Amino acid sequence: MNIIHLTLKIWRQTGPESKGSFKTYESGPITTAMSFLEMLDVLNERLILSGEEPVAFDHDCREGICGMCGSVINGTPHGPEKKTTLCQLHMRHFKDGDTLVIEPFRSRAFKLVKDLIVDRSPFDAIIAEGGYVSVNTGGTPDANAIPIPTFTAEQALDAAECIGCGACVAACPNGSAMLFVGAKISHLALLPQGQPERSKRALAMVKKMDELGFGNCGNEKYCEKACPKGISISNIARLNREFMKAAFCSVEE
Amino acid sequence: MQLDHRIPSGPLTEKWDRFRFETKLINPANKRKFEIIVVGAGLAGASASATLGELGYNVKTFCIQDSPRRGHSIAAQGGINAAKNCQNDGDSIWRLFYDTIKGGDFRAREANVYRLAQISNQIIDQCVAQGVPFAREYGGLLANRSFGGAQVSRTFYARGQTGQQLLLGAYSAMMRQVKTGKVTLHPRSEMMDLVVINGQARGIVTRNLITGAIDSHAADAVVLATGGYGNAYYLSTNAMASNVTATWRAYKRGAAFANPCFVQIHPTCIPVHGTYQSKLTLMSESLRNDGRVWVPTRSGDKRPPTEIPEAERDYYLEKKYPSFGNLVPRDVASRNAKEQCDQGKGVGDTGLAVYLDFADAINRLGEAAIRQKYGNLFDMYEKITGQDPVKEPMTIYPAVHYTMGGLWVDYHLMSTVPGLFVLGEANFSDHGANRLGASALMQGLADGYFVLPATISSHFAKSALVPITTSHPAFTEAIDTTKGRIQRLLSINGKRTPDDFHRELGLLLWDHCGMARNEAGLKLALDRLSELREKFWHNLKVTGSGADLNQTLERAGRVADFIEFAEVMILDALSRQESCGCHFREESQTAEHEAKRIDDTYSHVSAWQYQGEDQTPTLHKEPLVFENIQLSQRSYK
Amino acid sequence: MSWILTVLSSSIGKKYIMAVSGACLSFFLLAHLIGNSVSFWGKEAYNSYASHLHSLGFLIYILEILLLLLFLVHIVMGITLFIENLSARPNRYAVKEKERNWSASTMPYTGILILLFLVVHLVNFHFITKTVSTAELVKTTLSNPLIASFYLLSLSGLTLHASHGFWSLFQSLGINHQKYNKLLQLGGLAMAVIIGTTFILIPLLIVTTDSFLQ
Ligand SMILES: Cc1cc2nc3c(=O)[nH]c(=O)nc-3n(C[C@H](O)[C@H](O)[C@H](O)COP(=O)(O)OP(=O)(O)OC[C@H]3O[C@@H](n4cnc5c(N)ncnc54)[C@H](O)[C@@H]3O)c2cc1C
Ligand code: HEM
Ligand code: SF4
Ligand code: FES
Repeated sequence: MNIIHLTLKIWRQTGPESKGSFKTYESGPITTAMSFLEMLDVLNERLILSGEEPVAFDHDCREGICGMCGSVINGTPHGPEKKTTLCQLHMRHFKDGDTLVIEPFRSRAFKLVKDLIVDRSPFDAIIAEGGYVSVNTGGTPDANAIPIPTFTAEQALDAAECIGCGACVAACPNGSAMLFVGAKISHLALLPQGQPERSKRALAMVKKMDELGFGNCGNEKYCEKACPKGISISNIARLNREFMKAAFCSVEE
Repeated sequence: MQLDHRIPSGPLTEKWDRFRFETKLINPANKRKFEIIVVGAGLAGASASATLGELGYNVKTFCIQDSPRRGHSIAAQGGINAAKNCQNDGDSIWRLFYDTIKGGDFRAREANVYRLAQISNQIIDQCVAQGVPFAREYGGLLANRSFGGAQVSRTFYARGQTGQQLLLGAYSAMMRQVKTGKVTLHPRSEMMDLVVINGQARGIVTRNLITGAIDSHAADAVVLATGGYGNAYYLSTNAMASNVTATWRAYKRGAAFANPCFVQIHPTCIPVHGTYQSKLTLMSESLRNDGRVWVPTRSGDKRPPTEIPEAERDYYLEKKYPSFGNLVPRDVASRNAKEQCDQGKGVGDTGLAVYLDFADAINRLGEAAIRQKYGNLFDMYEKITGQDPVKEPMTIYPAVHYTMGGLWVDYHLMSTVPGLFVLGEANFSDHGANRLGASALMQGLADGYFVLPATISSHFAKSALVPITTSHPAFTEAIDTTKGRIQRLLSINGKRTPDDFHRELGLLLWDHCGMARNEAGLKLALDRLSELREKFWHNLKVTGSGADLNQTLERAGRVADFIEFAEVMILDALSRQESCGCHFREESQTAEHEAKRIDDTYSHVSAWQYQGEDQTPTLHKEPLVFENIQLSQRSYK
Repeated sequence: MSWILTVLSSSIGKKYIMAVSGACLSFFLLAHLIGNSVSFWGKEAYNSYASHLHSLGFLIYILEILLLLLFLVHIVMGITLFIENLSARPNRYAVKEKERNWSASTMPYTGILILLFLVVHLVNFHFITKTVSTAELVKTTLSNPLIASFYLLSLSGLTLHASHGFWSLFQSLGINHQKYNKLLQLGGLAMAVIIGTTFILIPLLIVTTDSFLQ
């Protein structure tokens, strides 16, 4: 375990309407076993004691699964480690004397709330349009009634692993949500249970996604690189395919 | 206070059917006249909201996180139990029922647990229909694994993220109801108080975590599904926002708190590495299938593990429990690790860790086989510690994981406040003094999808509820109390942060009300607790104001409640002078230092009733009656 | 039929238009390349190719109009996407991502470069009263080092545009399969490089060797 010192340039903004700016802080001594968020905790404890409002940032599980954390570190959402959420990024990946620029996720669809916190509720709004199988509780068939090939189940899970963190939108120069939507569409399109609403779902979710101000996909792959769960852009291709089938071959409008 | 469990009469296997038959139903057209508040959107809350919405009720769902998809349930790794007997290995509803009761060391109600086992199969059907991608065999049927030392394979799983997939299923079902307008979501809202009018739970007060606005909401019933209170210990495997605030406020409004001292401590977590540590990470218990637990025989041995020869290693679990070895239940494994560290044999920088060694398994099966089994866990371990468990043994240490205690509920999942229902980890109902692996997810979903929707209609059918709005004086009073509390927290302007106090509280509880408890320690803890409370209210520092997003204030409020709550927890531990499940009273052990239950005196649920500020709460006992199974002492030798 | 409009005006629909028009343009590019490659066989061959082309008469007009429409659709849609995307991410980050995907990020800019090139190209060879043979016209025009270097630059831009575009259009149309993804990716890149370098060879050889098209 080593001790390092960092310079932190952190975006401070008191609210959605106010003007934000970077503020520079010295990290003080940081042990390399800390996680990135623990490093911010240490800074915040110091800020509170000095009477300054601590840096607001979202987090909950600190295990890389809830999708609540996430900021942009030196231009990369969730920081430099591949397939790692910010809460699982550890300080041993940084060197003594490094300067870290810490910014909130930026895109038109995610409004800034405070400091590093943004509003990702548009994701929920997209799911509400069709990111489900319309079955009521009870009266469902036996779980083993429809066999599902191992490969299909695994592929569906690969997509369903998305934690809804929004890093894909943040990484995309166009602020597109195609990776997130592609992951959900894929998850349900691959499984037999998702078939009845397949077309309706694709049309409705894309419509909502467009309405909410996300940008258009340019196939630039930044999303895939930033995604902490390694969601593949083949899910975007599947979304494109599903949408086409739904638009041109189904009776749904 | 009357603790009426309202268990239906008749044979155990028929109680649930009988209850549903005898319940008065609500006409579908009338359901839309009822408003229900659901606090919490983890497995229990989301499944309840979805189902209530489908049935036609008007539901308002609240959660702390920015999206209901992030509830703490998302972090569950291992899986969910069901008695489907897919593997033909002798499982049955009765066996799941028996295992759960026995695992809980005979401190849970037979009727509740039997119902849970009965419903378990339907849960799997429901989740599959929603598109939960459970693991499959090559033939396309569902796969199972054996979990937590169970002798049958009854655990359904989706890689190491079963909780996530189940929660996304429940969340999506709920979002469907959001779309239909039956469920209204209130994310980033924290429940601050319960409103009780004419003895009925009729609403809540919340704080909007973004604007700081204190709002009130009226309803015909309130459902709490706010999870466990493991974070009382500061360090735990729980998510950072997990809290006791919601259940504590309900307690202060009259809901009894049951078995608060029953806290499960999980044996395989990544050890603490410094004072800045904010939470602990669970390493799946499946690791103990192949890993061997050991410490150096000599205390204070600081050599790296690879340099300690075989003869100087103490495989204490294998030695002490020849038949179960490394697979003893959670509480036993945890206690033994603590014992070794107390003797100075702990390893790592802090001396608070033991080794979990895969070298033998790698020699026997090859590195590839071990990586295939545990690869993702090894990666997770390496990500956090920077060490590769293939090259050197893992270090592990117990951590607070789950709370069996919670608000007291009857068979209907209703608390002692009529109209207040409690689901999931927030209630005390099904796990007795110790929870089996993969049973919490099952319980949360059973409560939300199946039990509550049936029992709440019986409540509505029976009670004559007068219409009430938030202009009722009880709401004004609750809002004022909440505002007063917030003002008080903001105005102390002392010198210590909420986290600082929280850490101190955590250490106090961990030392004296943790893996092993004794009277002297508990009494000392009570004294220290009241000092801590003093200090908290005099020396707390909270920056900012109550009128916008203020995470320091949020934490301060939760810590304040944890401090108050800790007292009841310690009182409960003091009053239960037996060892059972996770609750190990040093005064009550067998000649071999194993936990000794005292069924004659303590075969009951302890329910604590609030008596007012600075008053000692009253203890009520609900006797546990076992008509269908024989009580036995657990033995793992 | 309003559903068609709805589909095509959606974010994904616009990408279909981009992909389909891009694919057609790519076919044109390929045909144009094959035609122009005749220049490698010398002046006579090239001139005879040109006169054969012009003898198509009426057909060539239709093809030209179609091509113009294709370009218009592709360009208008490309610019629309560019503007929409700019406003979807109004704030840029203070620090730029280190590993950039150059060919993809520069699509709008290489596109504009191609557009400029088209204008110059058409002024050079299309909107001109021809007095000499096509081969001579090409030779003399491209002997001008200024024009030649502009051609080199734009054709490199075209290569970059195509190197992302060829793969991208499959992705946009959802043509994707675990077994063939590598093939599509490498094939797209190879096509772009082959088309690009072959085109680039023409001005390059004209400036560097006297004997070319002589
Ligand atoms: C690391 C880990 C692994 C686990 N693995 C397993 C496993 O493999 N199998 C298994 O069966 N169990 C497992 N468990 C246990 C299981 O995950 C939990 O017991 C269960 O998910 C609890 O669900 P819940 O719905 O009751 O509460 P939670 O999921 O905790 O949800 C609580 C909800 O209430 C909300 N809330 C809380 N307080 C308030 C308030 N004051 N105001 C408003 N809203 C509030 C929160 O926002 C949240 O939405 C694991 C637990 C942990 C920590
Ligand atoms: C012969 C010339 C051209 C060819 C062969 C060509 C080909 C392509 C192809 C195949 C694509 C990929 C479409 C997709 O992503 O699905 C593309 C994208 C694009 N083209 Fe062209 N193109 C040409 C000229 C132009 C011109 C003149 C412009 C002028 C503005 C242009 C602007 C763009 C833009 C902006 C994109 C990216 C669209 C996006 O992904 O957002 N292109 N092109
Ligand atoms: S696709 Fe990846 S980056 Fe995008 S929300 Fe899901 S997990 Fe996050
Ligand atoms: S805090 Fe949950 S993913 Fe980082």
